[in-house]
Amino acid sequence: MPTDFLTVEGLSKDFGGLRAIGNVSFSMGRNEVIGLIGPNGAGKTTLLRLITGILKPDSGTIRFKNTDIAGKKTWDIVGMGIACTFQNMRPFRRLPIIANVMVSCLSPRAMKRGEWVKKVEAKAMDALEFAGISDMALEKASTLSQGDLKRLEVARAIATEPELLLLDEPFGGLSPAETELMAKSIKRLHKGGRFGRLHSEGPAMIIVEHKLQQLMKIVTRIIVLDFGTVIADGTPEDVVNDRQVIKAYLGQGGV
Amino acid sequence: MGMLSYYFRKSLTVCKDEVLVLPSRVAVGVFVVTILVLPLFSQSPYLLRILILSSIFAIFAASWDLLSGFTGQMNFGHALFFGVGAYSAALLNIHGHLPPWASIPLGALGAVLTGLIVGIPCLRLRGTYLALTTLAFPVILLGIIFAVPDITGGELGLSGLSRLTGSRLWDYYLTSVIMLVSCAVMWKITDSNTGIIFHAIREDELAVRASGINTIRYKLLAFSLGGFFAGISGGLYAHFMRIAGPSTLEVSMSFTVVIWAVFGGIVTIYGPVGAVFILFPLLEFLRFWPEYRTLAFALVILLILLYMPEGLFPYLRDKLETQCPRCKIRNVAKRKTCRICAAPLN
Repeated sequence: MPTDFLTVEGLSKDFGGLRAIGNVSFSMGRNEVIGLIGPNGAGKTTLLRLITGILKPDSGTIRFKNTDIAGKKTWDIVGMGIACTFQNMRPFRRLPIIANVMVSCLSPRAMKRGEWVKKVEAKAMDALEFAGISDMALEKASTLSQGDLKRLEVARAIATEPELLLLDEPFGGLSPAETELMAKSIKRLHKGGRFGRLHSEGPAMIIVEHKLQQLMKIVTRIIVLDFGTVIADGTPEDVVNDRQVIKAYLGQGGV
Repeated sequence: MGMLSYYFRKSLTVCKDEVLVLPSRVAVGVFVVTILVLPLFSQSPYLLRILILSSIFAIFAASWDLLSGFTGQMNFGHALFFGVGAYSAALLNIHGHLPPWASIPLGALGAVLTGLIVGIPCLRLRGTYLALTTLAFPVILLGIIFAVPDITGGELGLSGLSRLTGSRLWDYYLTSVIMLVSCAVMWKITDSNTGIIFHAIREDELAVRASGINTIRYKLLAFSLGGFFAGISGGLYAHFMRIAGPSTLEVSMSFTVVIWAVFGGIVTIYGPVGAVFILFPLLEFLRFWPEYRTLAFALVILLILLYMPEGLFPYLRDKLETQCPRCKIRNVAKRKTCRICAAPLN
């Protein structure tokens, strides 16, 4: 059912002869947290990259708050309130951690919003505090561990004060304890907090993840992709019992 | 009077607490003072000429560092901006009869325009591809210059420009003050929020876009700023030498600036400036042994790069200063504790 917040319709993307995303349609509300799962190569990351404008779709529309954003520049899309993190973390390795976040704080959206009397450094520090790595603000990003790099990615994304946050494998490469912590942070982020003034209710989220157990605890709805198409869409309980989903994950014999 | 003594005391305090605490800051201070008082000790035209040219090339080298070092837009055709600055100033001076104080800034604006023209097609290119493409632009302009000798003077160039000022001494002060101000401005830009975005673009452009920054605007800004300062140095060069010739656009010019910057240490601004003030006089000094000149020059550079791969000045700085592991403030190497947070240094 189309909503005013985010509606994706008939989205397709080919890489040469390979159809990465084929005719994907879904919509989400302002307060939803959606889990996006699927086997490797299903097109999850491609879908996120299409929404953030890093890739341009071949056909289809992406409407965010009643504006078509398909094919717009990434910075314009971020400016409208969509932020993303990268699966393979992309920090500015030779810059201090705080400078990594300051780049996001210097984006036009972040400059317009939030407590304008605060300096950019203070805003960046807020985001780092939220992500839990403010104690290492002055270290170089290259010194961070995997888990902390994931946190840095989150800090960088929330510094733009998004309304929709796209997290690409936030638990990837984390230890069970770190995963637990990250899951808690994500829940807290969705609930909202003192970060930002305008979106105190927290951003809506689409989370791509393979660690289903942890994901189930956070999300309210799951979309399953396989070979670039949506094969299931529903509550976590419905999806894990769906025959097609089990087939996609475990193969024919698993059913 | 009270006000005056207040500011005097304040500047003394700043000097004591901020400048004298670090060898690198003392070195910069000594450099600036030396440049300004040197003519009191010697006004030899030959010495002044070397220092004037060093100042001009220092702006040129620092502008390359701003564009290629900080923003990572590897430019192997930086002579384009120098040449455009020189030729524009010459054309405006000879055909437009504008005095140097007007022709040099206008020439620099011409270089900014060139920066934008070159920058737009280069936006999609990165790394080696960008480097090779930029290498082509000065050669293309050289072809255009040879094609219209009536306007540009062809291979002979445009000569007979008006002098910068009336005397060598004033030429010296004008160029060195412009050099000091330009380098201070460039350093301030790299130290600002814009500088952080430049750094970030060098590290990972896609991540900068995903942070909501219009990278096209910042890359074009870097090209314009690099072009502006290189254009200023080109204009100064043309007016000082009183000729704007094809040599300003030569490939060797583009590479020399890279050598200066790499020798002094890129991503520093002060590195390329210091390097010019060492290498340019050195090359003049080696004139005494013309047959070994280039060989000795190459040897010096190879030795520096072999033992100090980060460049001469960052190497010296790291030897003389250490960074506090806790608050990241720099301290004199011989200190036991940090001067700000008192954490032990080891």
